[in-house]
Amino acid sequence: MDKAPEYVVEMLHITKEFPGIIANDDITLQLRKGEIHALLGENGAGKSTLMSVLFGLYQPEAGEIRKDGVKVEINNPNDATALKIGMVHQHFKLVDVFTVLDNIILGAETTKMGFLQKKAARKKVEALSEKYGLKVDLDAKVEDITVGMQQRVEILKMLYRDNEILIFDEPTAVLTPQEIEELMATMKEFAKEGKSILFISHKLNEIMEVSDRVTVLRKGKYVGTVNTRDTDKQALSNMMVGRPVQLEVVKTPAEPGEEVLKVEDLCVPSHLHKRNAVNHVSFSVRAGEIVCIAGIDGNGQSELVYGLTGLDKASAGKITLCGKDISHASIRQRGENMSHIPEDRHKHGLVLDFSLEQNLVLQTFREPRFQKGGFIKKDAVRQYSDQLIEQFDVRSGQGSVTVARSMSGGNQQKAIIARELDRQKSLVVAVQPTRGLDVGAIEYIHGQLVKERDEGKAILLVSLELDEVMSLSDRILVIYEGELVGEFDPKTISVQELGLYMAGAKRADGKGEQQ
Amino acid sequence: MKKNRLSALYAKDGTQKLLASLLSILIGLVVGSIIVLIVGLTSKNISLSGAWDGIRLIFAGIFSTGRSATGALTFGFNPTSLGNMLFRATPLVMTGLSIAVAYQTGLFNIGAPGQYLMGTMVSLMVALSIPTDLVPPVLVWIIAFLAGALAGALWGAIPGILNAFLNINVVLACIMTNWLAANLVTWLFDISSFKNMAEGTKTGYIYKTAYNGVATAKCGLDKLFPGSQVNGGILVAIVLAIAMYILINKTTLGYQLKACGSNRHAARYAGIQDKRNIVLSMAISGGLAGAGAALYYLSGNTEFFWSTYQSLPAVGFNGIPVALLAVNNPIAVIFSALFMSMLDIVGLQMTNLTAYNEYITDVIIATIVYLSAFALVIRMLLSGRKKHGGEPAAAKAAEPEKATAPVPAEPEKGGDEA
Repeated sequence: MDKAPEYVVEMLHITKEFPGIIANDDITLQLRKGEIHALLGENGAGKSTLMSVLFGLYQPEAGEIRKDGVKVEINNPNDATALKIGMVHQHFKLVDVFTVLDNIILGAETTKMGFLQKKAARKKVEALSEKYGLKVDLDAKVEDITVGMQQRVEILKMLYRDNEILIFDEPTAVLTPQEIEELMATMKEFAKEGKSILFISHKLNEIMEVSDRVTVLRKGKYVGTVNTRDTDKQALSNMMVGRPVQLEVVKTPAEPGEEVLKVEDLCVPSHLHKRNAVNHVSFSVRAGEIVCIAGIDGNGQSELVYGLTGLDKASAGKITLCGKDISHASIRQRGENMSHIPEDRHKHGLVLDFSLEQNLVLQTFREPRFQKGGFIKKDAVRQYSDQLIEQFDVRSGQGSVTVARSMSGGNQQKAIIARELDRQKSLVVAVQPTRGLDVGAIEYIHGQLVKERDEGKAILLVSLELDEVMSLSDRILVIYEGELVGEFDPKTISVQELGLYMAGAKRADGKGEQQ
Repeated sequence: MKKNRLSALYAKDGTQKLLASLLSILIGLVVGSIIVLIVGLTSKNISLSGAWDGIRLIFAGIFSTGRSATGALTFGFNPTSLGNMLFRATPLVMTGLSIAVAYQTGLFNIGAPGQYLMGTMVSLMVALSIPTDLVPPVLVWIIAFLAGALAGALWGAIPGILNAFLNINVVLACIMTNWLAANLVTWLFDISSFKNMAEGTKTGYIYKTAYNGVATAKCGLDKLFPGSQVNGGILVAIVLAIAMYILINKTTLGYQLKACGSNRHAARYAGIQDKRNIVLSMAISGGLAGAGAALYYLSGNTEFFWSTYQSLPAVGFNGIPVALLAVNNPIAVIFSALFMSMLDIVGLQMTNLTAYNEYITDVIIATIVYLSAFALVIRMLLSGRKKHGGEPAAAKAAEPEKATAPVPAEPEKGGDEA
């Protein structure tokens, strides 16, 4: 750190305005050679905009970018590539039906008289993969490999192009704890070699573990840059949110009451393959407890929820809710005793072109308080909507009449949560309720879920975030390839052990695969 | 204070839409005038004053009362033109409604011509086959009207069913049902016994309900607009337009239909029966088109001429520009349909009074349709860049929430892969 005072990349006083909003207001980010520099901020803080400026997707209104002390113009992503800047996007940019090798060389193919020179490319990729321990199967198709391996493919893509500045955008969101550890090790290895890394995240644990310095943005403004070793999680989150934040979920031990949901031998067919996505799953949720389904994305969680809520038909099994058999009930009948915070807030949760108030009554517009003889009571809807907005602190441009599409993701999620929790149903199915949200919003949503639990609701939480699983749940069920492979008490199991179950390396009945 | 209220009015979405449509109309009329001028200047037969007459007719042809003794154009209240305008607008209001209502629920009903044809056939057959010496003509009219609407509704439901249950594209299914209707109607008239009712002097079959004494009530409109074909049909159309406005905006059914149209998944999530609603909104849409045909052909002396299928009824397709110009607002559909039929009358006046023909109005309509399609651009121009800042697109870009935004840091061109 101390030998090289100069920076490889400097973004000086960058200002990027969108009509009406200043996304980046005089932001300075200086990246040293060989450091891991974390960029921390809430949603809408301007992290992605800043990276888009660095990547040439946006032109800033003011400020300049320097590479090795020399001012550069980055007008498009090709310029960025020429400057050896590479990026791993949160949503991978891979061609599913191409092989791993084809994906890596795509766009940077070496050709001889128009013919691909794959052999040389393969050698180079193999060497890189060997050197950094990035294990990939070069001849597998991308659609057949795990998410973790897809990320390694993305990293190899950057290395293959000899990039020196590597940007990782929320890289750990999709990984298991083991994979996260491997990624951290790889990043440190890169840094040791003199590559410089920009690491976008809002997960404080990871930032503390891997980064050398942290730059914090808040609402488009630069808050400060600190050395990681001189700070701690609480200080960072306070910087990010601008007020003291409760990081740990505060809750008393659960006092489970009667059984609210009982699932027996449930099977839900998959849309992707011929096997069952959910395979003979049985469990129950009692009043006053939070039961969490933990697992890596794509192991049948979504289908399990679809089967429970009626969005998909179950092929076998029995579901009992509040003593009633709802195995064949319609979505609406199930909704009589069930709230559902859906996984995909844009697909299922909201009608984006509707106003906020119309979205807030999406589940309840048929109730007599909102309609009479088929006519919507506009005033009643407005009053209810204003009340929910106030109560749940949903922020939007124009209140009740704001178009849902124009709201920020956090507030869209808050609106859904307001709608679902206010319905006061015995069972709350919450699927990744905090996905993509920042610590302030997460704190709020966790608080609301605990409050519901304490009021005697049964809560079924589906989450991919281990932190959330460990801190929020009273009971953990691990799902792997559509089957429940173990039930744990969060107080007695370690994150590491949970990870092994999630990855299928261990299971409670001893049938675990060998790694 | 007043200025504030004015600018607030200007900033309202509805005002913007109205201004955009009015601007489209104005530009359309100006383009028509320019073409009249160019044709006038390049043609030996037309003098400059002839061209000037043409331009004046484009803007005020509906008030033209012919030429004075000196050969100058005269203008004033022309009850015949106005009455005919109302008469011709009637089916246009209905097909415009058909398309607007479907569009509000997320469906593009290009099947209106087919639904209109089915409505035509069924209402004519019913009106001609129930003996009026046994059943009062008013009752026959009502039965025939309802039957026509029902036929349109059933025909419209077909693409709805195909879409909801087999996931077949609505537009494709609609186009198919159009031609199915054309052939079916030809065949059914061909094998029917109504041929006997054709006037012998004309080729092909011509049907009009006056043979059976069935005709739409005039509702006193013939007193207001003497010498025109106007009848109570336009009143029925206006009532239906208002009913549709209420249905879409004020009822739970409209709310459900719109929710399905806007986001089928979210509607399903909320326990709304998405499949039923898709079929229902296509049926409503088809029913409106069918009712439009019934209103037109049940008027009594309107002739339906059908030798063999040649083309689909233009009024079905003309519903599209009517709905476009009205930005799919059922109330605005009344006015845009009136405007379109006014252009028809203007075309006739041009043919009658000048060396131009009625096709000049097609140019105007075409221009307006293009401009309506660009209505969004015009609205953006009207609102200026400042307003645009508050629009979703920019807000999204500024707050790149991972799952929502077309995330800025994701170059589509694959520059990062290069």
